[in-house]
Amino acid sequence: MNLDRTLAITRKQFQTLRHDKRTLALMLVAPVMAMLIFGFAFGSGTKHVPVVVVNNDTSGVAAKIVAGLDHDILNISGSNDLSVAQQDVRNGSKVATLYFPAGFSTVNRAQLYIDTTNQQLSAAVLSTISAGAKSASPIDISYAFEKAKNASATDTLVPGIIAFAITVFTTLLTLLAFVGERTSGTLARLRVTPVTEAEIVLGYELAFGIIAAIQGSLLLAVAILVYHVLVVGPILVAALVVILTAIDAQAIGIVVSAAARRESQAIQFIPFIIFPTFLLSGIFVAVQSLPDWLRPLSYVLPPTWAIQALRDVLLRGWGIERVWPQLLVLLGFAVVFTFLAIFGLKRSRV
Amino acid sequence: MNAISFARVDKSYDTFKALDGLSFNVAKGELYGLIGPNGAGKSTAIKLMVGLQKANVGEVSVLGFSPQDPEVRSLVGYMPQETALYLDLTVYENLDLFGRLYGINKSERAARINELLEFVNLSDWAKTVITNLSGGMQHRTSLAVALLAKPKLLVLDEPTVGVDPELRAAFWQHFADMQNDGTTILITTHYMDEALRCDRVGLINHGKIVAEGTPAELISNSHTKTLEEAFLAYAGREKS
Repeated sequence: MNLDRTLAITRKQFQTLRHDKRTLALMLVAPVMAMLIFGFAFGSGTKHVPVVVVNNDTSGVAAKIVAGLDHDILNISGSNDLSVAQQDVRNGSKVATLYFPAGFSTVNRAQLYIDTTNQQLSAAVLSTISAGAKSASPIDISYAFEKAKNASATDTLVPGIIAFAITVFTTLLTLLAFVGERTSGTLARLRVTPVTEAEIVLGYELAFGIIAAIQGSLLLAVAILVYHVLVVGPILVAALVVILTAIDAQAIGIVVSAAARRESQAIQFIPFIIFPTFLLSGIFVAVQSLPDWLRPLSYVLPPTWAIQALRDVLLRGWGIERVWPQLLVLLGFAVVFTFLAIFGLKRSRV
Repeated sequence: MNAISFARVDKSYDTFKALDGLSFNVAKGELYGLIGPNGAGKSTAIKLMVGLQKANVGEVSVLGFSPQDPEVRSLVGYMPQETALYLDLTVYENLDLFGRLYGINKSERAARINELLEFVNLSDWAKTVITNLSGGMQHRTSLAVALLAKPKLLVLDEPTVGVDPELRAAFWQHFADMQNDGTTILITTHYMDEALRCDRVGLINHGKIVAEGTPAELISNSHTKTLEEAFLAYAGREKS
């Protein structure tokens, strides 16, 4: 293992980027764009769901519950006529009618008439009303993670987007770079020099680790400046997670590149990288809520561990003393995929 | 001791037998030409020689080493058929990268690169990105990379394709100078006038040597007047 040769490969990657402005832009602009699009589209949550309240209760208890509902999520209008209000739900202009009968304070039962044909809207109504009802009841709530008690959907989403963007863009760029190395003959040319397969792979890893650290910092800066996301824990630990995620992703890119003869074939692998990462690594759907048979697959995806580690650091405020198991798993993936990448390159000499 | 030795070498890709008992030797300091039709096995033989692939059967030895031995790599210069350069790097950056990989130290590297740039007539293009160069210029850069480490054995796969006649003559003068300095050179070519400049020529077809000797021997043994006619005669004889 020779450090000068390894660094020569790393240096070559940065020199290439200096001349190839389009790829440089892809590396820096595309992840930020992904962050902005996902953040605005999914992070803001459901808002302004039209709901009608018909309140025949004169005691003031129902009025207090209505006042306690989140008026950002629900766009509440009043009505005196229950049948007209329910007709509005049937014709699609309202999502739900909340009816408080006369004497509600004694019977303590209200009625919700709801359109469930759009789950996103009906779920927002149900969760907001049940939260409002709870706040009217004398339950004291305390928080396991005090600093994250007001965590928004965006706060939860941002770690997912960081891991997703780093994984997808790093895998993609390494895959294309390596298929390019094979098809142009430069890989063959490298391999007749004294450089070893391990030095080539580690040289690439170092370059992509540094690039990922830059990408991760950029993404985090956007998340803090644009979305004001919570950063409770040590940011350097988050950076370590990002770098390990990138090393995993680039080694996977090299391994996969062996299966493609041309760049056009490499493009065909993109859906197989994007969809599992997007759907199974816990960005939108919690890993725990995946079907039993599918869950093991999510645990063999490095971003699953990266997202959990990033959430633990950024939201729970955990340091390395608590997230080391996830870091160890990411490191384990890095070691395994690096060996596979080196082995794959050596094997092609046969 | 031979610089290159192939002994009954077979190499197959799936069902296609690219080399079929290939045997030949190249002596140290010799300029050896490997010529043959497309698909005859020239490039496969070269891949085995520079350690990019392994033989299925038989022995290949280069400068007394197995071609896979890391020790032999800094002793062999290789110019592949394709350009095989980093298109987004400049001429200088390409040479500098390979110079670093060959372990040439900083000051020596700069001097060697400038010397080679002058030789391939690209000093004014040192800071130009490869993708902006003509095919001939790219080829010249590729030759400069192969010469970087002052190799003991130079393996050139069709080095003068796309090179203008003046530069082609300069290339051959340089090969002759290198040979005088003791470098062994193996070259594949389609140009018969280039084959004539070789000390010995091996005619390869269907993965084996069908005739071998000095150009004069090949012509006289085949009762022809030119090397091209000799080549066609041997290829035809082998077919029948």
